[in-house]
Amino acid sequence: MIDSIEKRELLLLDGLGVIVPATYHKARRGDSRSQTHSDESGRVGVIFLNSLSPTKAATGDSAVYWADSIAQIGYPAFRLDLPGFGDSYDDPPARLLEYINRGSYASVASAKAREIVERFSLSGVIFVGLCAGAVTAIYSAASTQECKGLLLLDPYFHLPLKSRSKLWQKLTGRISRTDLGIEFEKLYDRLTEALRRLAGDAPPSNANFPLLSCWRDVATTGLPTILFRAPGIRHRGEFDYLKHVLKLAGRKGDVVVKTIEEANHTFSNRAGRDAVRQQVESWLTSHFPRDGEWGKVDRVSPSSTDDSQIYQLKSRSASVDTRTVPATRSAMEGG
Amino acid sequence: MLSQPYLDKRLSERAAYFPISGEHLYTVLHEVQNPVARVLLVGSLAAERHYSYHPWVRWARYLAARQIEVLRYDYRGVGESTGRFEEMTFADWADDVNALASWLATRSPQVPLVLHGLEIGGILAGRSFDGGIGDALLLWSPPATANHGLRSSLLLWAGLEQLWESSENRRPASEYIRLVEQGFPIEVYGYQWTSQLWRESFSLALPNDLNDLATTRHRPIKLAKLGKETSPLVKPHVTYDEVKDLSFLYAEHFAWLSEVLALPVDGAA
Repeated sequence: MIDSIEKRELLLLDGLGVIVPATYHKARRGDSRSQTHSDESGRVGVIFLNSLSPTKAATGDSAVYWADSIAQIGYPAFRLDLPGFGDSYDDPPARLLEYINRGSYASVASAKAREIVERFSLSGVIFVGLCAGAVTAIYSAASTQECKGLLLLDPYFHLPLKSRSKLWQKLTGRISRTDLGIEFEKLYDRLTEALRRLAGDAPPSNANFPLLSCWRDVATTGLPTILFRAPGIRHRGEFDYLKHVLKLAGRKGDVVVKTIEEANHTFSNRAGRDAVRQQVESWLTSHFPRDGEWGKVDRVSPSSTDDSQIYQLKSRSASVDTRTVPATRSAMEGG
Repeated sequence: MLSQPYLDKRLSERAAYFPISGEHLYTVLHEVQNPVARVLLVGSLAAERHYSYHPWVRWARYLAARQIEVLRYDYRGVGESTGRFEEMTFADWADDVNALASWLATRSPQVPLVLHGLEIGGILAGRSFDGGIGDALLLWSPPATANHGLRSSLLLWAGLEQLWESSENRRPASEYIRLVEQGFPIEVYGYQWTSQLWRESFSLALPNDLNDLATTRHRPIKLAKLGKETSPLVKPHVTYDEVKDLSFLYAEHFAWLSEVLALPVDGAA
């Protein structure tokens, strides 16, 4: 039994009163193609934070795949099991989503980022988060001086709506199935839209205002950020958070938005994970150039099985997106 | 500052890699001093590993707190272990069970070794046990064949897919089955199932003579079909962000282990 292999090492980050198990993916150096080194001095590290998915491997082990590929192009990557996740010794908070939405994991994530920077003499870190993990990433970025960038996958900026009574749901459910009900819904949507315009595109009452405020603080500093969206399901009349957060980022903001067609919410399907990998590699090398000894590298080889007959990979840039991801869906899917 | 009991408990769990056939299995040993027995946990496969993780880890801790040393791991190509899922076969995963059971048994041969399998892991554990490995066998909800296990995962996943995905991503389970039976790989919960894996799954089942082993060779076996109250440990699992108290389940099966192995244990540590 060993705790370090050629490309990975198992860590216990034990500083500041909390033990966090982590997997470290050693960065490959350009001057020795087949070997990885633990000397990461001066490099930028990439830290993966937990979404609602129970372990640091994430849905379909997608985080393992991305961390491997990022390390292969010269950036050390770290996947953490924050308290309550995976092999951490702690139980999850009773109301996990609420805990995350308040930014309660930021202090631990930030402390562990500093621990990693110190331990590996890194020049800084980039936080990666999917869905609820993206919420933690934004809060963490705000409290981590060493944070040099953000990688957000299907973030959300709202809080769950209070559930209505069963009687009300039953009543509105039945009405909405009638012709009159459909017309009423259309009218409601138009009214909502009109009211929103009158209010100057203000977010709805269930917006996560502390998070939006935190985002504004982070984004307006020009922190390089790449934000991925999956097409997902559409909801009529929902507030356009993407448009809003891009506006909040202002002129100084350095935010790239990519929508990955055919990706699922967790980006764990082949189309999603491959497109994210390609875009992240390109974004990393342009924003955080590696040292001169790096040279040209081989990409991580794609799946050996030919799946092109089933899935098509498409990606495009998008500056505006009209979708939001409801928290209920996050809980179902591991975001 | 970390409290000493917290630190002691945490540091008694050792995560490490176990080399096997050019890959590395991720393992966690719940180490105890002077163990009265050892248990190898053979967990559920791929996506189910994900859902069942919390209650499975808690079961390991429950046993470790009662002086039973536990080894749990990720299959080759799954979770923290290295390798590509789509390149693995049931034979590879059976090798994983045998290799780890042998390693665990050599740590102190004088105490009994228990194989404990969950869902498809139950079939793999049962087959190793049939091959002569282990002194007792505990099975939680093993499917009739591995195909039954894969099929139920696919049905559950395809159902979710219909609910939450965009229209272009929607396909009924029957369509996936048709594709994989025609030789195409399909993706389920981000794992790529090959047609070879699907074909092999039909013939992978629990050995027929397990009951004989229990009666004639005095190697105890318990097979428990777990109910939905134990979700997300077993299907149907939809959410996994809640902490469920499964102490009733743990207590029942720990009592069985204590009885059949005549363990000198007097309850919770």
